[in-house]
Amino acid sequence: MSNTLRPYLAAVRSTLTAALTLEDFASQIVERHNKPEVEVGTSKEVLLNPLMISRNENEKVLIEPSINSIRLSIKIKQADEIERILCHKFTRFMMQRAENFVVLRRKPVKGYDISFLITNNHTNTMLKHKIVDFIIQFMEEVDKEISEMKLSLNARARVVAESYLLAFSS
Amino acid sequence: MILLEPHNYIIQTTLIDKLAKPTSLDVQFVDFDGVRFHLSTPERKTSLLLSMSIRCWNELVQYGVHDVLKREYGAMVRAQPESDYNVSLDVDLEQFPPEGEERDTFIKNIALLKRHALAAPFELAFKAQKQLESSGSGQGEIMAMHYRDEEAIYIQASPDRVTVIFSTVFREETDRIFGKVFLQEFVDARRLPTIQSAPQVLYTTHEPPLEIRHVPGLVDSDDVGYVTFVLFPRHFAQAAVAASTISHIQLFRDYLHYHIKCSKAYMHSRMRFRVSEFQKVLNRAKTEVAVVDRKTASGRSMR
Repeated sequence: MSNTLRPYLAAVRSTLTAALTLEDFASQIVERHNKPEVEVGTSKEVLLNPLMISRNENEKVLIEPSINSIRLSIKIKQADEIERILCHKFTRFMMQRAENFVVLRRKPVKGYDISFLITNNHTNTMLKHKIVDFIIQFMEEVDKEISEMKLSLNARARVVAESYLLAFSS
Repeated sequence: MILLEPHNYIIQTTLIDKLAKPTSLDVQFVDFDGVRFHLSTPERKTSLLLSMSIRCWNELVQYGVHDVLKREYGAMVRAQPESDYNVSLDVDLEQFPPEGEERDTFIKNIALLKRHALAAPFELAFKAQKQLESSGSGQGEIMAMHYRDEEAIYIQASPDRVTVIFSTVFREETDRIFGKVFLQEFVDARRLPTIQSAPQVLYTTHEPPLEIRHVPGLVDSDDVGYVTFVLFPRHFAQAAVAASTISHIQLFRDYLHYHIKCSKAYMHSRMRFRVSEFQKVLNRAKTEVAVVDRKTASGRSMR
């Protein structure tokens, strides 16, 4: 892990752990409704201050806490066109399977690549520190995966080009 | 399998099968670039009719495809092709050479029908280059083959080289970006000492190369890429080398797109694996809920 990644992930981990103090909270607007307040945003008083953790301008995490839910959005590093398309494909692939990843949002928040929505129901049924572990591991591995995919694409392209051109000289 | 083969596998295997045991048949199949084949036995079980339809036939006729096919297949070429098809071959199983190497080459040669048809303009360009070389100046005409809906091959002979330009369309953004990576490797690969003798490769996206800029009907869009191969006399001076160069260069477009699709499939399987790994990590967070089989008083399970 590089030197800047470690404090970045540590900051996300402690912020997220601190923010994951959720309780059941029924809607104040509609009777017998219980919705994630960070998503509906109808009662300003239950929303807490959103917090952004940036490693650099291309990599940042936005954590928006509220009384019964928190929303965490990640912007993944995309250095060039290939990384952009690979990142887009990968996040789309995951978001299409959002019902399996209960905490995953189907759409990212504007300006980010992938968003998670954790509600008090999730923290009741799942272990809080394990949810945090999952998010941190996702952040660690998604960069690795994208750069590996890019390397394998380049390696394949090289083999393909060489074997095609080699056939001319034989 | 990295390289694609120039012959049609279905023709080859069907002919081998039918030589062993002639039966009546009527099959239609396709090859790269929308080429359609029809293999049938209209009269007898031992006389097969192989027809091919190819998109750019009219252009090929201009560039002397009839001469090439006559040279390769002689009297087998029918004067009047089957309707809906451009060229028909009469393949008589009784007149095949005896079993052995000779027969294999004969079968292979029939399976190379598409390759021979598309070879006509290349051979013409190689001849034109020799004439231009002796006269020392001038440019050959640009021969265009619109072998797919939106894609074409342009061939031009010059006194010292033959330029082959492919225009290719990338249907979606991923293909376009992957295509760029692949084409860049084609350009870079020549730096390797082992492939110094390969033809020079250049590519441009969006803007057509200078040689064909005046040709009407070029699409101006971000999805189009142009790949130029510069063939030098060493690639076609000897007949055997020329033949392999032609078979090889024809398949460039298919080869490129085949590998782009392969990469995409590989990425997909990789993502599938990674996502299932993430799923496992998340499942670890779930607390174990003991599933108790609830029973009724009579001992039956509650549903």
